[in-house]
Amino acid sequence: MVGFNPRSTYTIAKKEFMDNIRNKWIIVLTIIFVILIIIFSYVAGAGAGDVFGNMQASAMGLLVISSILIPLIAIILGFSTISGEAESGALYVVLSYPVRRIEVLLGKLIGLGSVIIVSIFIGFGFGGVVIATTTGGESWAGFIGFILLSIFLGWIFLSLSICVSSYCKRRITSIGGGIVLWFWGMIYGTVMFAIMYATGYTFEDIAIGNIPDWFFNSVVFSPPDLHQTAVMRAFGIVTFEQMGYSISIPDFLNIGMLLTAHIVWFIIPLTLAYFFFKRRDI
Amino acid sequence: MITKTVGCPKCKNHIKIQGNPGETIILSCPKCETKGKYTFPAERSVSETSSDSFSIEIEGLTKKFKDLTAVDNLTFKVRTGEIFGLLGPNGAGKTTTIKAILGLIHKNSGNIKINGFDIIEEGIKARASVGYLPERVAFYPNLNPLQTMNFFCELWGVDKSIAKPLIKEVGLEDAINRKVGNFSKGMVQLLGVAQVMIGKPPVYILDEPMGGLDARWVKTIREKIKMLNKEGATILFSSHILSEVENICDRVAIINKGKLIAEDTVENLNKYLKIKPRLEITIKDLDGKIPNVIKDLKGIEAVDAKDNKLFVTCESSVRSQVITKLEEAGLKIDNIKTIEPSLEDAFVRLIERDA
Repeated sequence: MVGFNPRSTYTIAKKEFMDNIRNKWIIVLTIIFVILIIIFSYVAGAGAGDVFGNMQASAMGLLVISSILIPLIAIILGFSTISGEAESGALYVVLSYPVRRIEVLLGKLIGLGSVIIVSIFIGFGFGGVVIATTTGGESWAGFIGFILLSIFLGWIFLSLSICVSSYCKRRITSIGGGIVLWFWGMIYGTVMFAIMYATGYTFEDIAIGNIPDWFFNSVVFSPPDLHQTAVMRAFGIVTFEQMGYSISIPDFLNIGMLLTAHIVWFIIPLTLAYFFFKRRDI
Repeated sequence: MITKTVGCPKCKNHIKIQGNPGETIILSCPKCETKGKYTFPAERSVSETSSDSFSIEIEGLTKKFKDLTAVDNLTFKVRTGEIFGLLGPNGAGKTTTIKAILGLIHKNSGNIKINGFDIIEEGIKARASVGYLPERVAFYPNLNPLQTMNFFCELWGVDKSIAKPLIKEVGLEDAINRKVGNFSKGMVQLLGVAQVMIGKPPVYILDEPMGGLDARWVKTIREKIKMLNKEGATILFSSHILSEVENICDRVAIINKGKLIAEDTVENLNKYLKIKPRLEITIKDLDGKIPNVIKDLKGIEAVDAKDNKLFVTCESSVRSQVITKLEEAGLKIDNIKTIEPSLEDAFVRLIERDA
């Protein structure tokens, strides 16, 4: 990149990390993360017949937590990083220095993204070790894939929340934007099921696996659903239970396609964030 | 007398010097203590005058927010080495102008240069020449002052060893391990002052630097500004404390409704506006009443009384008549003082005229 100074980006990333790793909300959420991981591991394991169960079953339990908590952590980190700092005045000083806005934006992304990585390693890493030691860790590759995909999910939501923060003039508006983002991710699957029923598909259709392709394709419009599908692929799971029915993931939702969708979900909001930030009056 | 700013050959620090045409002076860099000689040219050429060298140049600046024109075709220049005051009532467009100078907001039209660098075309070079203290300065709540200063040192690309001395210089050494989030407004402002001095830039832009500070720190900041200027820095200074501006600034620009309404020295502004000096006459037992004997006197512009003080604004030729009339009326005059017109007088007159 012409005229890009990586030192500025590194400095801003380091500052964002130091400032946000001490964010009380992030600390609270990470603690909740660890507690829930232990509880879910126990519940999932009990269902499988052991005390802690097998790694795959435990990981599926963790998947529910990761889809809820990781987007929440990312949104809390990113929603006010531009709008909040512009409102408080902290951004005035930074942008009066000889730095480019792209350097600031990438610095924020890397710094806040590093906080997400630490949270995930503390949460899932710690939980994963507990699960692995109690279940024998027969699916290590899948579990590592799970952690990496969880980081990816966090960075996608970070990219989305920075985009919202760059667009919104005020901090309070970007809080609203962040909440909308999170709810979208949470209710999307249920909305798709409702649409499927509304378009004439019955419970019997689902029971016999008569599910339209668009239903599976629709996962690309929701990062948490995309994440869940990719994690199942990472563990080699093709059939899963939802709302009491057994659903098989079609072949076209392969790991390559799912990863590409992850990348698109990361790049597009980040590009838009830069577009809004560059044109923004601070 | 010629005023000139020269660069130190060793550390590139800007040094403000004064001398007569043909005079040779020995100067010492206040930063690296390098000594050298400088001979002022025998004839004062146009290029040697301070008025020819500008650190901030604003030409035809216009900024609109939807239907509101916050800054309207504004043009002014800040000479190298001077302290320049930017004044105006609330909402006049001072902060918008400052933000446009730094490229924090996007102008609709006009040209802005800092140290000869266009803020749009050469934004990095332009901002590398300037230290900025915003009106609403804020830092990161979870960092302490040292971490904050270290961050800005790294961002500027200077050695972090200057962070602690600068914190000490603004009197925050006792709070060095406290989170900035727990600081009072005044302490945050002081940290802002420390921050602005990090890169030792040749140009400083200070937007209400004394806002929210008690008298002790106002004095500290005033001295800092004077010291920076003495070392050769150019300072653009915005404040609503007109007495401070008057004390510090070489020249001022007054803007109202986004437009420049005056730009000159305080003295010249008062001359131009024909603002007369005021007589402050202390009279025994006046009790805040204006004596009838001077009410109808010709040449008097304004009369006011408070306690045992009588304030008379009048032509200098009328002053003796005022005193005579008061004495003839049997009033006992204890003291007479002439108050020269202040910046406040000029400011009020200009804003009223522009309304």
